[in-house]
Amino acid sequence: MLDNGLTKKILNILLKNGADFSEIFVQKRVFNNLRLDDGKIEKSSSGYEVGCGLRLWIGDSTFYAFVDSLEKEKLINAAKVLSSALNGSSSLKVLNLNESESSYASNIKKPPSGIYPGKKKEILEIIDKNSRNYSSKIIQVTSVLSDVEEDIFIANSYGSYSSEKMVRTFLAVNVVARRGNNAASGYKSIARTGGYEMFDLKDPAILAKDASGIAVNMIDAINAPTGEIPVVIGPAFGGVIFHEACGHGLEADAVMKDASVFKGMIGKKIAGEEVSAVDDSTIKYHWGSYKFDGEGFPSRKTVLIKDGVLENYLYDLRTSKKMKGKQTGNGRRQSFRHVPIPRMSNTYIESGKEDPESIIKSVSKGIYAKEFAGGQVDPATGDFVFGISEGYMIENGKLGSPIKGATLIGNGMEILKKIEAVGNNLDFAPGFCGKSGQSVSNEVGQPTIKVSKITVGGIKDRDAE
Amino acid sequence: MQNNRRYKSREKQLLNICKSTAGKIKKYDVDEFEVFTASSVDNEIEIFKSKIETLSFSDSIGVGIRIFKDKSVGYAYTTVLEDSSMEDCIERAVSNSKITGREKYNYLPVEEEYTYKKKLISDKLLFRESLLNYRIEDKVSIAKKLEDLTRSRDKRISDIENVSYQDSIYETAILNSEGFCDNYKKTTCMIYVNAISREGNNTSTGDYFGCGRSPDDIDLDRVADKAAERSVSILGGEKIKSDRVSLLLGSSVSAQFLSVIADGITADSVQKKKSVFGGKIGERIFSADINIFDDGTLPEGLSSRPFDGEGVVKGRTGVFEKGCLKTYLYDTFTARKDKTLSTGNAVRASYRSTPEVGISNFYIEPSKYDFNELLRDLNEGFYVIDIIGMHSGVNNISGQISVGAKGLWMKNGKTEIPVKEVTIATDILSFCKSIEKAGRDLEFFPLNGYIGSPSLLLRNVTISGR
Repeated sequence: MLDNGLTKKILNILLKNGADFSEIFVQKRVFNNLRLDDGKIEKSSSGYEVGCGLRLWIGDSTFYAFVDSLEKEKLINAAKVLSSALNGSSSLKVLNLNESESSYASNIKKPPSGIYPGKKKEILEIIDKNSRNYSSKIIQVTSVLSDVEEDIFIANSYGSYSSEKMVRTFLAVNVVARRGNNAASGYKSIARTGGYEMFDLKDPAILAKDASGIAVNMIDAINAPTGEIPVVIGPAFGGVIFHEACGHGLEADAVMKDASVFKGMIGKKIAGEEVSAVDDSTIKYHWGSYKFDGEGFPSRKTVLIKDGVLENYLYDLRTSKKMKGKQTGNGRRQSFRHVPIPRMSNTYIESGKEDPESIIKSVSKGIYAKEFAGGQVDPATGDFVFGISEGYMIENGKLGSPIKGATLIGNGMEILKKIEAVGNNLDFAPGFCGKSGQSVSNEVGQPTIKVSKITVGGIKDRDAE
Repeated sequence: MQNNRRYKSREKQLLNICKSTAGKIKKYDVDEFEVFTASSVDNEIEIFKSKIETLSFSDSIGVGIRIFKDKSVGYAYTTVLEDSSMEDCIERAVSNSKITGREKYNYLPVEEEYTYKKKLISDKLLFRESLLNYRIEDKVSIAKKLEDLTRSRDKRISDIENVSYQDSIYETAILNSEGFCDNYKKTTCMIYVNAISREGNNTSTGDYFGCGRSPDDIDLDRVADKAAERSVSILGGEKIKSDRVSLLLGSSVSAQFLSVIADGITADSVQKKKSVFGGKIGERIFSADINIFDDGTLPEGLSSRPFDGEGVVKGRTGVFEKGCLKTYLYDTFTARKDKTLSTGNAVRASYRSTPEVGISNFYIEPSKYDFNELLRDLNEGFYVIDIIGMHSGVNNISGQISVGAKGLWMKNGKTEIPVKEVTIATDILSFCKSIEKAGRDLEFFPLNGYIGSPSLLLRNVTISGR
């Protein structure tokens, strides 16, 4: 996207006043976003963005600037301005640039730019029809289909560059069901680092039925219990609990700032032997995958926890240098407007041995948390909360009434030790994760797991049933 | 550095973009159009252990085009302002208008549809020249000072996880084919600190921020005090027994609950049957002492604006008066549907998105009671200092709320024990009813819009712990 000469020139301008490192991140992208609401296509919007982020370091300080342009003069000027923030001099100079390699390869069969707009509209109409046909209780359907195609070019003063063509497609549906005064919602999404071939593999009609099923089930939900009880967490999106409660604390910036409960725990047993967890940005076509991270480092599989022992953190370039850890390819950024920071990609608890049904059977009184509305964690303390969007009582080993208004609250370190059983049914779910004002694509995953005790925040008193 | 150079207004540039784009659109077969432009010059500084961790600055501009054709609407935006790319942007907007559903209310606003006829706030109040006097070095020292102040507040504060300073000079212009053409500019400035405190095996965090139109508006000492107090006071927090209790919500906590109410009173969510406030106009929702306004004309309100995201004048809207729901918040589309007037609540997050119905400065009117009176009235109960999981803990459809909370268990005005890892469970309408009293310590927070609340005293709310 930028020729070799100009790239080197900019990197060298950034270095000249004493910087230890310089980097250029170039991005061109086309977005499309289609939204169905209230029975019709309500919004269709497209965007085109071109921009360049410039970064340099001196000591522990990062200086960053971006421009909405790839014009030579503007880039050189921005580089000069950024570099003028420093007043030293440097002997560092980039002479050669070598292309980085990544083992990640993908074949996009149906890029969004080749999809006729009418086809996209049809996908949303299938969602609307199948949701409304599911039950007469479905009174509202909202669905969003978005895609992005982008070209990324990254070069740095260590003399390496990378380029990547990235395609992402995302479909989400949210339905509202009502009976009398009771209303409930159901949400499902599918997403792919890829194009519209996603819909050859996953039928939007099934997505619509799944979301509608949740909403209709939840109409009859009773108030969730309160207090500490056993919780079985369902596969796929249940992995959000690991993502929030542990994953964020394993991101190296939190560890470096002494703001993680996992600091100094490498090599220590932090969970039961049943628990192994991984971050893997190389799983083909998964929502959190990429060829290179936001710093041009190739994607990678990183074992976080092996048989209960903490093995690694997730690093970007800066934290890996500072903490003397090996770069893991987790330096991610939302766009050229943002500084890369350590982020998860596809993060999951590996499959165990147990049959998911027997896990539920083993609980005499507890809850089954199947889907979550999301969660939040304070990495410094490990304290977390999760909102359950689809949950059921478990009574004598059997699923009972659906429950509403339930939140799980606890501490990441403690919950890891309380994982008693891990199922053999690993599955994944896509989402977006926000950190430091940046939103990136993430996939969470896990098999069914059982936690011996978590505080459930509901309304109904356990003893007064 | 560039940012030290005097800022020059972009007014002319933005208006020129609007006009030249309008000229280009005229070649296309469209019924109506709107050109929205915005520019923003931003500065952000993060300090860690008295050193600059990250210093970033940016200067960006973008254009968004709405096209109306046969009562359908299409949108496209670009950051590339060259002719060829502008033409491409217009074509995308035109082609997008061919996919969307027809709706008879899809057309540009006209003046007869404004609730407020005259501009009620001048952008002279929104733009603070004094921000321009601060050099990068000055801003760095503000952030460093905040770090020092916070750290020195208490021995138990072991780390400052995060200190940041941010400011922004924002300008926008809108031109539409109905003849509207106007612009305004504003400055904002915000600082934030998150303090980690430790004692024995206990760790706790507490954060706070200050904001205004320029660093002059921000009281660093107060921000440091609040962050430190929030962090240290809940050290050693423990779970308490599940029960129904009285709650005293600090204003930052109350404001977060108020943001949930804000989501439910937009006409869009009501018309689409996604709000628990649907069909409740005229009904008593709160106790008769509670008044809630959406006021886009507050001189100090960071969401104040002379006109909204589609050019409609914004004023002061009484949403709840004497506890009763008076009106929803409208843009022109939703107002036409309900056969009423726009309240000037079309909000644009940026040129990247189309206008959506949203709040401006949304707040609970303060009363005469000071915090100590509320504390006395609480007698025995849970003083909530911070909540987490608001985003995932609320279901706007069913109305269920369940969020994590930390704070202090109070008895007779004194702290009994610090509390953590408990949840507050209620639903939106019950929450509103359970508010017995509001305090007078109104404070605003930049949430999704600018939301203000005093401390609130609530009765009979379920908390879940042991």
